[in-house]
This record gives sequence, structure tokens and C-alpha cells, in this order.
Amino acid sequence: MKSERLTILIFVSCCLVPCSEGQADEAMPVFQSDIQPLFSRKCGKCHSGKVQKGGLDLSTMRGIRRGGESGDASVADSVDDSLLWQMIDGGDMPPEGQPMLTDKERALIRTWIAGGARSESPADFVEKELNQHDVLPIVLLRCTTCHGARLKQGGVDLRTPTAMRKGGKNGPAIVPGDPDASLMMQRIESEACPPRELLLKYFVKRPPVAEVEVLREWIAAGAPEFDVLPDVATTEPDPFVTDEERQHWAFQPPVIGHDAASIDDFILKRLQENGLTFSPAADRDTLIRRAYLDLVGIPPSLDEWQRWRDSGESVWYQKMLDHLLASPHYGERWGRYWLDLAGFADSEGGVSADPIRQVAWKYRDYVIGAFNSDKPYDRFLIEQIAGDELLDHENSPVVTAEMVENLTATGFLRMGIDQTGSRTMNFVPERLGVIGDVINVLGSGIMGLTIECARCHSHKYDPIPHRDYYRFKAIFQGALDEHDWLTFKNRSLDVDTAERHKRVAQINPPLLSRIRKLEADTKKALTALQTETLRQHYPTQSEADRRETLRSLRIADNNRTQPQRILVEKLQQAEVLPDSEQPSSVLAARRAVDDIHRETAGVRRQLEPPLTIRALWDRGEPSPTYILRRGEHNKPGRLVGPGVPSVLTNGRTPFDVQPPFPNGAPKTGRRLAFGRWLTQPNHPLTARVMVNRVWYHHFGTGLVKTLENFGAKGELPSHPELLDWLAVNFVQRGWSIKDLHRAIMNSRTYRQSSHVTDETRKHDPGNRLLSRMSLRRMDAEALRDSLLFISGRLDDTSGGPPDPVSVNRDGLVSADSRAGGRWRRSIYLQYRRTEIPSMMDTFDYPEMGPNCLSRSVSTVSPQALMLMNDQHVHNLAVSFAARVESILDRRGHDARGDQVDTVYQLALSRPPGDMERQLGVQTLNELHRVWQEKPHAALETYCHTILNSAAFLYVD
Amino acid sequence: MSNAETNKSAQRNTRRDFFARTSDGLLGAALAQLMCGDFFGGPAALGEEHDAATGVPPVYNLKPKQTHHPSKATSVIQLFMNGGPSQMDLFDPKPVLNRLDGKPFPGNVEEIGNQGAADIGVMMGGRYKFARHGQSGTWMADVLPHTAQLADDICLINSMWTDHPNHDNALYKIHSGRLFMGYPTLGSWTVYGLGAENQNLPAYVVLNDPLGPPKNGTRNWTAGFLPPVFQGTRFRPTGSPILNLKPQYQQPSEVTETARGLLNRLDAIHLKDRPYYGELDARIESYSLAARMQLSAGEALDLSRESSHTHQMYGVDEKWTDSFGRRCLLARRLVERGVRFVQIFLEEQPWDSHADLADNHRGACQRTDKPVAGLLRDLKQRGLLDSTLVIWGGEFGRTPTTQKSADGYSGRDHNMQAFTSWIAGGGVRGGTSYGTTDDFGHSVVENPVSVHDFHATILNQLGLDHQKLFFSRSGLDERLTGVEPPRVVTEILS
Repeated sequence: MKSERLTILIFVSCCLVPCSEGQADEAMPVFQSDIQPLFSRKCGKCHSGKVQKGGLDLSTMRGIRRGGESGDASVADSVDDSLLWQMIDGGDMPPEGQPMLTDKERALIRTWIAGGARSESPADFVEKELNQHDVLPIVLLRCTTCHGARLKQGGVDLRTPTAMRKGGKNGPAIVPGDPDASLMMQRIESEACPPRELLLKYFVKRPPVAEVEVLREWIAAGAPEFDVLPDVATTEPDPFVTDEERQHWAFQPPVIGHDAASIDDFILKRLQENGLTFSPAADRDTLIRRAYLDLVGIPPSLDEWQRWRDSGESVWYQKMLDHLLASPHYGERWGRYWLDLAGFADSEGGVSADPIRQVAWKYRDYVIGAFNSDKPYDRFLIEQIAGDELLDHENSPVVTAEMVENLTATGFLRMGIDQTGSRTMNFVPERLGVIGDVINVLGSGIMGLTIECARCHSHKYDPIPHRDYYRFKAIFQGALDEHDWLTFKNRSLDVDTAERHKRVAQINPPLLSRIRKLEADTKKALTALQTETLRQHYPTQSEADRRETLRSLRIADNNRTQPQRILVEKLQQAEVLPDSEQPSSVLAARRAVDDIHRETAGVRRQLEPPLTIRALWDRGEPSPTYILRRGEHNKPGRLVGPGVPSVLTNGRTPFDVQPPFPNGAPKTGRRLAFGRWLTQPNHPLTARVMVNRVWYHHFGTGLVKTLENFGAKGELPSHPELLDWLAVNFVQRGWSIKDLHRAIMNSRTYRQSSHVTDETRKHDPGNRLLSRMSLRRMDAEALRDSLLFISGRLDDTSGGPPDPVSVNRDGLVSADSRAGGRWRRSIYLQYRRTEIPSMMDTFDYPEMGPNCLSRSVSTVSPQALMLMNDQHVHNLAVSFAARVESILDRRGHDARGDQVDTVYQLALSRPPGDMERQLGVQTLNELHRVWQEKPHAALETYCHTILNSAAFLYVD
Repeated sequence: MSNAETNKSAQRNTRRDFFARTSDGLLGAALAQLMCGDFFGGPAALGEEHDAATGVPPVYNLKPKQTHHPSKATSVIQLFMNGGPSQMDLFDPKPVLNRLDGKPFPGNVEEIGNQGAADIGVMMGGRYKFARHGQSGTWMADVLPHTAQLADDICLINSMWTDHPNHDNALYKIHSGRLFMGYPTLGSWTVYGLGAENQNLPAYVVLNDPLGPPKNGTRNWTAGFLPPVFQGTRFRPTGSPILNLKPQYQQPSEVTETARGLLNRLDAIHLKDRPYYGELDARIESYSLAARMQLSAGEALDLSRESSHTHQMYGVDEKWTDSFGRRCLLARRLVERGVRFVQIFLEEQPWDSHADLADNHRGACQRTDKPVAGLLRDLKQRGLLDSTLVIWGGEFGRTPTTQKSADGYSGRDHNMQAFTSWIAGGGVRGGTSYGTTDDFGHSVVENPVSVHDFHATILNQLGLDHQKLFFSRSGLDERLTGVEPPRVVTEILS
């Protein structure tokens, strides 16, 4: 490998330096007299016999040689290979705020390491004895795909030393004490294994010389086995994380004081401390629009708006909230936020083919349903984390809807980019990437902790040792095992209720055969189109060349000969010409293709959805989990067992794991244990992180601004007592998210006007004190859904497969319309990573990498261009105008002032102001003059302009 | 807030004040231009005028930014050669290959480095004639006659290497420094670090082939986790250059003007009722920028303003070179107008020659050689080459061996272990050939340049320090050049 060779070159050249320094042998520093006192003074606070941050003890030579938890030696053969020196030289240690090393001290340490880290006591040099855990990681990486759980080629299983001794039909795989006689060594050293032709099939790479040496030495030493227990939490204090570090506010369970009464008490107290009070309440129209867009993401219909506006009841507002929370559109709004957190996408990503995730939508519908039914948040989490370990569908006489729902929920852990189904991207590092994404989403999204930072080394800022990342990874080992992998192509379950099985069997076969026929027709129509294009644009071209062009299209572009490339290019040049330059016969042929496409899409929509669930399930036979030094897949360190971040426990509590179905399906129960731990009522983070997210969506800023990071580098909460009060109440009220909405939205804080005064600007410039509501731009979904709703083109069918999108010649990605020229809500569009609908993309729909915890809001000219010039937006404005006319027709009004009123009521849920009304009438008069021949066009232009206005785009 | 701070903010002019004064001409057009940058980027909330301590989210925009150190270059034109041009056929001659033509690879075929060994054929000699060119005596093949004339302005890096032999991943790597999707590209980092010089045009422009998108599509110019304001804007070479730049429906201009007048007045009312919301100013500005962009983009793209001599230089209107020539000429017009980063792509991956390499590469050269030379010459004569970095290259190189294909043994496979890219202008030493590969051109033996090194060197010329250019997310400082510090290749700098 190039990179390895380069690294060696660099090391060799670096080694020259210490060698020349090594001449003054007499002055060489020695550990006991020179280094130990220095370490004790400058490093001893965190790295002593008692406190071992990062698992490192610098007080003895033994500790130094053993190194930290990652298993990397602190000292090594060269200065540059020494992790200790790297940390010092890079300025990482001692950490900020601690006494620094002087230049002289640094030089002394460097000289000491360069001189071979001398010590007075020769007993410190203990050669490490190899044991089975030096060998197993190598065997897992190189051998067990063919000689392990799934395949036992030649009857050989290499997963344990016992099985190695036993071997297979050709005899034992190893002969302890005699590597030359060991079949395993013979096969590896002759490169018979892993077999060349299977390397890419099974995604295995040959062991490098260093690994082969380890195997050889271990066998030569008699294949010794030590009784090594995985590193897990015990009842003994954890030396890696100190009690002091557990004191950080977010690692302590939330508590509420005695005088706490309501959200407003907390907010008002801080406002008053700053010489402020609440802003006046927003007016009724503003509150109606705010609540609708906030809870359901679309404005009220005319009837609903009038109902709330005219209600004489004192509790009209509370009633409106109840009405909205009961609406099925609520889940479509708030489910979308959760999909961002999960990193939802309708494609796998990773490779440019970006394969479609056929049934990702089932998870989307699960999320929407969970929000609509106000599934308690603790249950919601457990289903998504360990739904497969709740009920044993494999050993149940009937599959229940609940089982299906539980399995669908685990789709949460399958949302990251997954390229492991591709032909060349399924090696262990890529699989570790998929696992890394899962940990990242869980850590930052649900736990508010950047656990993923500890993948390569202990967390730089938070007390999350490297070890804890791998304990956490071990929780998923039963399902996501990089040594026993299922790719996205074969990681799915066909599990469903008997009723659904029956429906699929009855409904689909005739439809599928129609689709097959239509697909054949498509091919024919395409060929006809291409031939016609060539005939029309190159009339002199020979028929043979035309046939060769079509044949070349079937060859992958990089395997075409130059003449073939030229032919294809000619066709493409003709195809990209605008419609105006295409002969009518070509346009007709195109229409024929489009017609078949449309028909096919229509038939597809009638299909009963497949039984497939994109689930994650425990397979019961996890490989051992090793710490990976520096996060590298081929640098195994210590053996660890499953566990949660120590800092979130008292450090003296074992992680309790029980297989959930002792007499049924074999499952480790690790994720279930994690889910249960995560949803304990007094968990320091789970409730806090969620109430903070909900708060963020209501106000535009979280109480903790860094939604994803409650750790040392996260921001402190603006109102810590309020955060805890909300968290504790959330749990006490049964983890009900709808109750939380009610608590927040009924507060005076939420009902404030968004108006900024000189006073609030001066004392609360960033609105951290919440002296007012914040004005906000609609997000992409609210904008698109509102446009559709207002123009009467929203199809409110919920659920099911996503609506396809098309990419036009200009690169515009737009949703295909459904029957009757309508479109569904944005959450139901297809989100292929490489084909995000342009309107969504333009208004900050995020790149899921692997997820998105808060969207950025940009204000850029492509947004203006989209709303002003886009054909689709203009069409919607035309529909909007037609709706206004039909409403007024029914009422028998058609004065221009009435038109303006109705436009405002529909688009902005309020009457126009005097100036606005006057301007509207004037402009309509003016437009009628210009549009003379098109009487409807004036109102269309006016409607289009209102949809472009700030009043529409921003919510007070 | 302390007294000192209050005084400070009182002295600071608000944007509102500025506009009040620019409109009556007191501060002049130049300043107004500068202020536009303020609005380009986003939620310029009222707190922007206050210190970070107030807790207002950071504002991302394309205002011109301070460089970390004095810059040599102010803009970049990346001529991207999708598919992986063959180094041993174009820039890095290997006579040994000719001698071994048709013989088996002398080493272990697994060393070729591709994931399957089954497809690997025999050694293949160079397909074209090589000669030394210019005073520097730089080697180039005879299929690049025009580029060869500018050999003394070009610095060849023959010792590039990358980490993946697949197009997808190698493309992510060469553009974003990572093997996977979702990371910002070099262009995004550049405009994130430097902002824009011309606020009436996008700072980062992509010119792709009218025949279709390159492999990996829009991922080649994504802003990844950076705010979307830093992503590349695709200019189409024909028709309306930016999506929706012109109305997609018919409407008399008088209607457009009336509508715009109404919008301005309604937005003014809205704004007046909502003081201190900077984002509302920003939005109004984004509408007026959209209008200005219609003019500026139209002007920038109007190649008829160039002389016929210039057209000839780029091969515009010639059969093979017209398309690429137009994009090169456009690139010059854009950097001339202060566009920071221009990427030019070919359709799909024309350099990917698994079969029929001799003709395929000849074809690709025929399309690009003259326009590229025209671009360099034109930049030079206008004094723009000193401040423009021109980068030429693909995502990896090709193997010394052939590959079995439908067409027999006539093409080369992907090679991640060595390839050639070149840089011209922007303070890079012309006439240099840097780095050495082994006898087969298969792997680097001297002065390796990683993709991170390459990126660090480009940033360095732009006045950016790759270590200081970072974006914090989830507690991590993300950099274009990753965790392990890369090396600026100072040997190729003048």
C-alpha cells in the first residue's frame, strides 16, 4: 500500500535525528531521577496511580510502557512514534488551564524518549506475552468470513483457539509450538488463503507481514490462552473518569426547586433582573398563524381562521391548540424534525449511483404515527433502539401489528449513508463508518453528547475515554458486526401480519405483470425516440451507424471505443437541443415515452406495499469488540464489553444485560438494556435534550443553544432551572410531547409579540432572555406546503411510498404531480440524496451527513429567483387567483377591494392593513390596464406578488 | 453591558444608517457595493453588530475576508479532467513500458492496487510520442501540442497519489479531501475563507458540459456541512445561466415592473413595523441582488463581446474545441470580474479509458488541449495569470498494465498510487516537473504529494493557512485537509 510505504519512509528519515542526539550517553536522562519527579509535578494530577485519565499512569515505568486505554505505547522506538511525545509536542498536553511544560522540560522529555526511555530498574522491561486476543482480531479481519459463523470452509471454524486446534477435514488448523506444521500458517504464507479470487467477493484483504508474524509467534509460543475478561463497568470505582468530572451540570440528573411554578416564572425572573418585562401579547390573527405554522406547518383554512377569530370563548386559544394537536397534520410537521435528527433519506448514498432505499418510507410513516398518537417518548426511543428485542416475532404463532411496528421503528438505526451494498465498498472500514454514523446520531441527537469524538482517542474536552466509545459500539455488535456483516441489500426482513401477506399475494401479481409489460413498452418507445432523433437531426447518417449508436448506449461509457463515443455524443448533442429546435416527430416520440412513464407510475401506485422492513435486528452471535487504536480497523487494542459512557453513571454500576427471550430467538439484549438505561426517569440527558429540542422548534433557539452538545464545549443553558423544570415535568407527565407543546404554547412567553423595542434591543439583543417572540422565516417544508395549500393544490393523502421527482434538462428537481394536478406535503416527497427537490434545497433543506440537528437559515438570491421566476410557483399563484375568484363569485362580490381582502385572508390569515389594501387596489387597477386582454391575469400577478412578500415568508 | 462597550457600539454604524446615507449619495457607490456583501449571506440578525457574547448565531456571508497571510493568487480555475488521465501517456514518459509492452507485470499483480486482480492484463507501452518542450525541457506527449507551447508556465506534479481506486471515492477525495460524500469541496472552503470580490455574481461558479453532468454530479461542488451559501452555482453555457434567472413564464415587462414596485412597497411596510430584524433587510437585498444578477450574469456570459482573435485562440466555433473552449473563455471572463473559484467539467468521465486508450485519450486531448492553452495564453497577456491559479488534473491516474475489456487489451485501469496534475500561475514556479515515479509510472518514489498536500498548497497561494481554515461542528474543528497535518509543497512555489 502506498500510504504505508510512505509512512515508513518518513519514520526512517525522522529516526536519524534522535540517533545523532544519542551520542552523549553520559548525560542521558533516567526515569527515576529526571523524569518521574517532573511527571509527578506536571502530569500527576490526572495520570497517577490513583487517577488514570485516559487509562494512563505516568508514575511508574510499568504504567508508561503499558500506555493509555487505547493501547498505544506512550514511549516507542522513536520519538515520533511515541504517543506521549505527540501529545506534548502537539500542545494537547498538559491541557489548557493546567501548568505548562517549560521548553527545558520538553527538551528533557524528548531526549529521554529518544534515548530509549531509560530506567534504573531493568525489571521494567517486560516482554509482552502474546495471547489469543492478539490473534483473534487478525483472524476476524482476515479469515472468519470463510471460517466462522456463516461459512465453515473445509469444516474449519477459526473463531476460538479451541476450534483452531480442532481444525477441519484436513486436520487441525494450528499445531501449538510448531507454526511450520500449522495448516493455517502454511495456507497464509503461501497466499493460498485468503484466496485471491475471493478477496473482493468477501471484502477481505491479505494480512500484512506484521500480522503474519504475530500469528506465527503466538503458535510458536504454544498458542497460549489467558483468561481475559472484557473491560466493562464494575462495582469498583472507574479510574478513567473522576467524580469531579461527573459534576458538570449536564451529567447530573435534573432537579426542580421548591418555588417553581410555571415557564413564565422562570422567564420573567431573568427579564426583571435585566430591567425588562414581557412584551405585550401578539394579536389574535398573529397567534392563529403562528400556532398553525408551528404545529401543523400549514396556515388555517378560511373557515378555521374565521372560527378562531370570531370565537367569543375565553379558552379559544386552548381549544385551537387541542384542535391542532389532534390534527393528522401535526405528525407530518413534528415528525419531519425527528427525521432530520435521524438523518432520513430515500437513498443509500455513498456511491454516485445512490441506490434508492425502497422502503425507508415505512420508518417515516412510523415516526409520523408516533407523533400523532403521542407515543410516550421513552417508549418511542426504546422501539427505535431495540424494537427487535421487545417481542419475539420469530417464535410467535402470529405476527402482530405491534411486532411489525417495533421492527419498523429500528429503521432509526439504519438511516446513515450505507455504501456496503456496492461492488467494491464493503470492507471493514466502510462497515465501521456505518456503525460510526449510528453512534453519532444517537450521541448527538438523543444524548446531546459528542461521543463520536472518542472514536480515535479519548474525547478532547469531555470525560469520554476512548474505551467508552468501544463499549458503546459493543452495544450494537449483535446487530452491526463488522466481521459478520449484512449489506443494505440483504439487511431487511419480510415480516408482516397475515392480513398483509394475503393482500400482497392477491393484489400485486396482476399489477406486476402489467408493469413488466409497460417496462418493455418503455424500452421500445425509447428506441423509437432515439432512432427518430438521429433520423431527423442527421438525415445523412447510415442506418448502420444509427444501429451502432443504440448498441453503444448499452455499453458502459468507459468501455466504449472512440468511434462509439463519438456516435453517442452526436445523439446527446441532438437530445439537449431545446424543444423549439426539435421536429414535431421527435416531440411526439417523447410524449409517447412520457405517457408510458405516467401510466407505469399510476400502476405502481396501486401496488400493495412490499412486506419488506428495513430493520435492524440482533443476530445473537456478536464478535468480540476490541478498542481500535487511533480508530484504525487493523490496530486492535483491549477487549471490551458493552457499556454506556461512564460519566453518565456513578462509575460503580455494571451495565446490566439480559437476553430478552431466554427460550426463544437468540438475542444479546444489549440494545434493549441500553434503551432501558437511556429512559430511566432520572437520566441526566435524555429528557433535557428532548425538551430542549422541542423548545428550539417553538422559539428558534434552544435553552441550550448547542442542541447536539451538552458537554464541556456546549453552551450553558440560558435558563438552567427552567430546562430542568421542563425535563422533570416531561418525565412525570409520562414523557408526553403533546403535553409539553401545551405547556410551552400556553405560556405568556410564547404568546408574546415579536416586535422589538429600543429597550428590548438594548438589554436583550440576541433574545436569549426571551423578551419577545422571534420572527422566523418559514422552513422549506412550511413554505412549499403553504404555497400548495393556499393555491388549493395540496393533496392531503398521508403515508405510503414517496412521490417521485423528475430532473429536467436545466437540473431543476421537482416533484411529479399526482392525480388532478395536486401534490402531497413535502414530507412525502422522495429524498434521494443526489436529487433533493430544488425548492427544498434552495430553502435550506439539509445535507444529511449523517443527520441534521438544526438547519441553517440562509437568505440568498436563488431564493428570490425561485419565488419570482419559477414556473411551478407561478402556476400555483394562478391557481390561488382562481380560488380567490371562485370564493368571491359564490359570495357575489367582485370588487377589487374584496379581492385584496380575500388574498390576505387566505395567504396571511389576516385582513390587509389600510395601506396594504389601498396599494392592493391601486396595483390591481394598474395591472388590469396593462393586462387588458387577459382579465384574470391581473389578479394572478397580484397573488404571485403576495406569495413573494416578506409578510408571507416570515412568521411573527 | 459596560460603558466602554456601549460607546463602541454607538460609534459603529448600523447598516440601516449606511443605507440611509448611500441612498442620498453621501457615501458613494463603492461603499454601497461593499455593504451588499453584508446581506449576501444570511440571517444578519440585529445582534450581528454586537459581540459574540450576546448569543446571536454566527452569520455566514460572502463579504471579503482577511487572508491569513499575503496571497499570491486571488482566484482559481480548476480544469477538471474527469475519469483519470493517463500520466504515463501524457506527462511522465516510461521507456521501460515500451520495452515490456505485451509482457506480464514483473511484480505481484496484487500490488497494482485495484481490488480485483482478475482483470489485470499485460504491460502496455506509452501510446504517444514524447518530446521535451520549452526552455525547461518539460516532457509532454504529442497529443498536447498546444499545451506544450506553454510548458514553461506549467508546473507538473508527477507524484500525486490518492487513497481509493474507485471513481466515486477518489472524486470525493480530490474535491473535498475525504473519501465519502457530505464534505465541503475546495471551492466551498475557498469562498468560506475568502468571501467574494464581486457581489453581483456568485463567488463559486461551476461550468459543466452541455452534454451532461460529470460523474458524481452536484457532489463535485457541494458545500457539505458548510452553510449552503458556500456551495458552487452551476452556470449553464446556453439559455439562462442560472436556474430561474429569467421568468419561466410570459409577462409584459410593464407587469414585472408594477409587481416589483408593489413588492418593494409592501416589504417596506413590513420592515417598518418590524425594526431591528436584520434578516428582513437581507431578504430585501437578496431580491435586488437577484435583479442585478440578471444583468451581471448576462453580461459576463456574453461571449460575443470578445474579439474573433480571442475566439480563435480558445478554439471557439471549431468542431472539437467549441464546447470546452467556450467554457474556458467564460472562466476567464468570470475571474476577470472577481469570481473566486471556477470549476470546469467534462461530461461524465471521458478520460476513463479502460478500452481503446490510444483513441480515447487522443479524443479527449483534441477537445481540451487548444482551449486550455488559449486560456493560459489569454490570462497571461491580460496580466491575470499571476493572480489566477489554473489547476489541471483528474481524480487518479492509470495503471501500467492493460485491462481486459470487450475490446481486448487496449486500455488501462485506475491507479491511485500515482498520477499527474499540473498547476500554472498564481505564484507557482512554471517549467517545473516535481516528484518521481517508479520505472512503470505505477507508484511514487520521490517527493510524494498527497491530495491534502495539494489542497494545502493551493490554499497557501490564496493566502489561507490550511490549519487556520476550519469550521466547528459537533465539537470538532473540521478542516479541508483533515487531522494529520499536510505539507505545503514549497518547492514548486516561486
